Amino acid sequence: MKNILPLVLVLSTSTAAFAQRDTTRKDSTKQLKEVVVTGTRTAKSLQQVPIPITRITSEEIKNRGLVRLNEVLSEQTGINILDDPHGQGIQIQGFDPAYTLILIDGLPLIGRSTGILELSRITTNNIDRIEIVKGPTSSLYGSEAMAGVVNIITAEPAKGFSGGVAGRYGTNKNADVSLNSSYKTNKFYISGFANRNSSGGYSLQPASGIPTVSPFHGYTLNGKTAYRFDDNTSLKLSVRYFTNDQDSRFSVDNNRFASGKGTEKDFNLAPVLTHRFSKKDVSVLQLYRSIYKTNSDIRYEDNHDIYDQTYFTQTFNRAEVQNDYALQDNLKLTAGVGGQYETVEATRYTKQQSFTSGYGYFQADWIPVKKLDIIAGGRFDAHSVYKSQFSPKLAASYALSDKLTILGSAGKGYKAPDFRQLYLNFTNAEVGYSVFGYEEAQAGIARLQQEGQIETVLIDPSTLKRLNAESSTAFNFGFRYKPVTKLYWTANLFRNNISNLIETAAIALKTNGQSVFSYFNLNKVYTQGVETDVTYQLFKPLQIGGGFQYLEAYDQDVLDQIKAGKVFTKDPETNLTKALKRSDYGGLLGRSKYTYNIRLNYNDEKTGINTSLRAIYRGRYGYKDSDGNGIVNRADEYTNGYMLVNASVSKLFMNNALRLQVTAQNLFNHKDPQVILNLPGRLIYAGVAYNFNKQ
Amino acid sequence: MNKFKTLSLALSSAVILLASSCSKNNDDPTPAASKLTTKTISDLDGASKATVYFSLATGAEVTGADTASATKWDLKFKSTSIFTNGGTSGTGTTQAQVVSSTFEALTTAPTADYKTDATGAPAISGWYTYTAETAPQHAILATPGKIFVIKTADGKYAKVEMISYYKGNPNTTTAAFADLTTRPASRYYTFRYAYQGDGTTSFK
Repeated sequence: MKNILPLVLVLSTSTAAFAQRDTTRKDSTKQLKEVVVTGTRTAKSLQQVPIPITRITSEEIKNRGLVRLNEVLSEQTGINILDDPHGQGIQIQGFDPAYTLILIDGLPLIGRSTGILELSRITTNNIDRIEIVKGPTSSLYGSEAMAGVVNIITAEPAKGFSGGVAGRYGTNKNADVSLNSSYKTNKFYISGFANRNSSGGYSLQPASGIPTVSPFHGYTLNGKTAYRFDDNTSLKLSVRYFTNDQDSRFSVDNNRFASGKGTEKDFNLAPVLTHRFSKKDVSVLQLYRSIYKTNSDIRYEDNHDIYDQTYFTQTFNRAEVQNDYALQDNLKLTAGVGGQYETVEATRYTKQQSFTSGYGYFQADWIPVKKLDIIAGGRFDAHSVYKSQFSPKLAASYALSDKLTILGSAGKGYKAPDFRQLYLNFTNAEVGYSVFGYEEAQAGIARLQQEGQIETVLIDPSTLKRLNAESSTAFNFGFRYKPVTKLYWTANLFRNNISNLIETAAIALKTNGQSVFSYFNLNKVYTQGVETDVTYQLFKPLQIGGGFQYLEAYDQDVLDQIKAGKVFTKDPETNLTKALKRSDYGGLLGRSKYTYNIRLNYNDEKTGINTSLRAIYRGRYGYKDSDGNGIVNRADEYTNGYMLVNASVSKLFMNNALRLQVTAQNLFNHKDPQVILNLPGRLIYAGVAYNFNKQ
Repeated sequence: MNKFKTLSLALSSAVILLASSCSKNNDDPTPAASKLTTKTISDLDGASKATVYFSLATGAEVTGADTASATKWDLKFKSTSIFTNGGTSGTGTTQAQVVSSTFEALTTAPTADYKTDATGAPAISGWYTYTAETAPQHAILATPGKIFVIKTADGKYAKVEMISYYKGNPNTTTAAFADLTTRPASRYYTFRYAYQGDGTTSFK
């Protein structure tokens, strides 16, 4: 913060003298239309908001033939979808999926498995747009908003009676069908949305008879209604329900198989009351309840004995009031307070556990001179289990001209220890190791000692340090450049210093030779890099674009150890030990140094034909440690870099009411069956959509 | 003509330089004769028998009645376990510890912190990584930087680096190794060691 702010100020003042005057009113009104809400929790123009933010419209998503959130995000600059047995999550600025908050209409989704929120749970058929904020936003949203925030903003109905149906079907029996209808008057609206998403699954090792992804079918139901009492008061209620059933089949030792069914359910209820006390003063009262449940029952196929039976139930309850007050025309204050109550109950927890937390946040949005926008704010979170957190943020944007805005921000982000890190009580039945959350460690060790299962205690659990939130300090600096209406160019430099990362470490050795693990605040890591994206309207129907990210993500402790000559590797030819050099260290697992994408969109309004082609390259990344030093350094520890090409062609009929579409994902059938399990190969879909509206 | 001159000049000066550097070496005082022997043992066969015994002093396998001796063997290999002749593993007083280093950089044996084998707690552990489901699957790979320092029953020091658990010391990053059907046989131990016969802790 200390380093970047003066730089921003110096740059701002030195260029203010010869900054151009705002003359083209037409342009600025057009830009105002592109409003974003996620970066500041107030409506701001995309060009002015001083925080790196990406806005993806429903139209773009539909032109690309995409229907689920993972498909959409995988094509975005600076975002990678990670392949993990616990689900498909996103990596932003080199952070693992656990550090990005996922919101629907500003409210957090729960139900993460080892920190990963499965993105294919979320349909994009009923949305207006997606906003992606990069950099820590804990100053507004609290825990988890460390790498950034993805906010899915659902569509508001159009006036009158509208409805529609959309379907997509193709490879692997992947099917996605949506229905929507709505009715809206001046005072009232109601809308309903239903989606069914299913797949026959696929296997990357067909000979094994074991699916890589098992068949599943899921439903999303979403209802929204709103009533405007008068010009100043309105009430809105939204309900969302998601359920998914998945069959699974595993091979267990010696040609035995286990199979069964897993069910996942997610329910959200959110009433919102908005009242305008005056033109300058608006309050929003928001209540939110979310429940996430999973159940699975896996049995041996031969004798139907139980192989694994698990359940997991998490609830999240929140009440929050936010007040927006325009003190002056150029100074807007936002303040909010809220309380949360969360519970979890699961097979792997001793009993039902709960968290209570309270928070308050404040933000000032000040425009001292027309071209300068300064946002300062912070949030204080008090929690029943871990230490309180204060997360400040300071951001500023300056319009050097109508065409060029520079922006910089510095802030703190944090992620609270989750239920797993605090309360897990788990022993792996097959292998025999145990993992205890921080709060369970003492009782767990005592119990195992009584049972005679402990050989040596390595760390006395009574001496364990209280688990703290993981935290980061981050700096972002970039620009938005629009020299002509045809061209839009953005760039952002980022650096995240992350400390207190929670890792597992052994606290005791068991008599069976396995370890007992618990959680510790251990590592210090940093990520830094640059991201840039450009879109250019080459000629009327043809738009080209591209994005690029360079990323470095290193563990500071490993760097220090390498410097001290304490990290070793084996030469693969001779198998002899040699000391590792700094240049051999490949950084954190799963981080590609280079990623880029190239996009082409041909949109002929006359014929209603839209052609979209995207190539997404992900550079090599470390995926394992094979020489036993715990880090990525040898060539065989990396995947190969790869490119995916996705394409879609659609044509509109009947005054744009009907759309027929053919979509291909992974057109060149890239597969890496040993390493990348979420790439099923080429997928071809046919799609149809019909929409109507009667005023 | 000039060319030849330059050439002969270069040649003669090179010869002088070479000769002087040689003579310099010859002038060096002869260091006290180190009794250090450095050897690489390839494919010590632990596959055809349950345990294989090894003497660092002779650099050879020990069999028969000598395996009951307190001094005639130092290391015992049994599958992925490596035992020393002492404590729960033998009648001797051999001790050991594992030091993080490269083989070359470890020039002096530590003087303290040696351990004797005990039940469930051998002096030598953590020398390998089991890959489990990660490719190459189910492999035992020697962990880099784990150098065993052995203090033998007769008070001699040695350093040992495990190189391979597989016959022929294969490159473990190849597809042939990853494939369980073409992977060389296991329990063939390849290791290198330096044995200081003069009783000092020096490995120079």
